[in-house]
Amino acid sequence: MAEDTATEDPGAPVRFMPQLIGLDYTIKTNPVAAAFGAALADGRITGHRCPSCQRVYAPPKGFCPICVVPTGEADLVEVADRGLVTSWTVLTPIQYAGQKEREDYALASILLDGADGTIGQQRLVDVPLDEIRMGLRVEAVWAPPDERVADDRGYGLGSAVSGWRPTGEPDAPPSAYQEHTL
Amino acid sequence: MRDVAIVSFATTGPLPAVDDTETQMLFPVISEAIERSGIPRADIGFTCSGSADYLAGTPFAFVGNLEAVGAWPPISESHVDMDGAWAMYEAWVRLQHGDVDVALAFSSGISSRSDLREVLCLQNDPYYLMPLWADHGSLAGLQARAVAEAGLVDEVVDTVAAPPASDGAAAVIMVAGDRAREVCERPAWIRGIEHRSDPHYIGVRDLADVPSAQVAAAAAGVGGGPIDLAELSAAHPHEEVLLRRAMGLADLVEVNAGADPLMVAGLAHIGAAATAIHEGRAGRTLGHAASGPCLQQNLVCVMEGTP
Ligand SMILES: [Zn+2]
Repeated sequence: MAEDTATEDPGAPVRFMPQLIGLDYTIKTNPVAAAFGAALADGRITGHRCPSCQRVYAPPKGFCPICVVPTGEADLVEVADRGLVTSWTVLTPIQYAGQKEREDYALASILLDGADGTIGQQRLVDVPLDEIRMGLRVEAVWAPPDERVADDRGYGLGSAVSGWRPTGEPDAPPSAYQEHTL
Repeated sequence: MRDVAIVSFATTGPLPAVDDTETQMLFPVISEAIERSGIPRADIGFTCSGSADYLAGTPFAFVGNLEAVGAWPPISESHVDMDGAWAMYEAWVRLQHGDVDVALAFSSGISSRSDLREVLCLQNDPYYLMPLWADHGSLAGLQARAVAEAGLVDEVVDTVAAPPASDGAAAVIMVAGDRAREVCERPAWIRGIEHRSDPHYIGVRDLADVPSAQVAAAAAGVGGGPIDLAELSAAHPHEEVLLRRAMGLADLVEVNAGADPLMVAGLAHIGAAATAIHEGRAGRTLGHAASGPCLQQNLVCVMEGTP
């Protein structure tokens, strides 16, 4: 589009015009996410257990979307900071302004022990990329306490966990993750 | 046409600035509307929502909002980037197909986290008005002046200094035919529902008139009998004046006007007009929704308590 404009006769009618738009938003951390973030800063991963179906949501939503019942502090449970890999992606960083990654790395979906859903886009560390597999058991590598910043909307784990490393335990059997793969 | 009625309504009303997510805000409202209808959630055959992700700045918030519905096992649903009144219209059309009898329409809006004067600029045409950042308050001011110059009001009220918009959510349950009579003592039967639009570009409009509201009201059958209560989406006094004239409601006493919260007001007005019938306070009511700058788009729903 820019090339077209550049080659056009400046006296010709305008065919293209840039229109840069920026909108500013206030981000509010909802109370459920705020409590989850406070626990993360404390080195704990929490969830809500649905009083109806017993599924544990971590991070908690404040409700169970399947049973459509609200959940609250009475339903608060702690889940383990260890679990298993259900799926993963190896990313090859393309260099552009602001890109800090230089080497290939892996992001995984982790099913935490005690939770019924995976947490996505979790960095895998201390494992060769060609040795990552479904069922690989991992544990959290917590960031230093003053670097544990929760996501302001309550998604994922923010910067609280810097990565997940293999525990060395035997792999979990397929039955442990077959309901959690895409 | 199939007889379709609104049998229940729930709303948060205008909220100053919620801390909750849009989904968390919707959750109790949808549940309340369903519980009031007495119909099991699983019997809902179609769901339609209205919202705008630009308001709170949360991409795909409208998808996440389905978590407040109970969408597992999978449901049949749709979404409009409009006030929930248009979601309700789509649900009404869907019920006319005849294969489902119960529909849920809901809407939500969180306007407290952005500057609406910036966000709503994006609904203007991208060539002439958008680059000027002609905001909705300023455009309403132009319309207020046009209304005053046409001699329809005595004074021009400051539209730019209007109070900040609120947050909120609303939901209705719509039911076709005999099922509506079974679950509701006085269903609010939809006798006419129409929506029309005036031109997108403000410059080609006579701002002292709202032809789209006039045509929609006529097509919805407003003039077919006396109206006991009109619920109008009017953000400013001059808009109420214009809507009353366009719909032939100049002398009606029972008018409730207001356009807050954004994306919710229209459905909430229709819900309030339906509730007046449910509670036996009115026999024939009108609910109205508006969208776009200067009452560009108008939806009119006429309801009656008699089958
Ligand atoms: Zn549940």
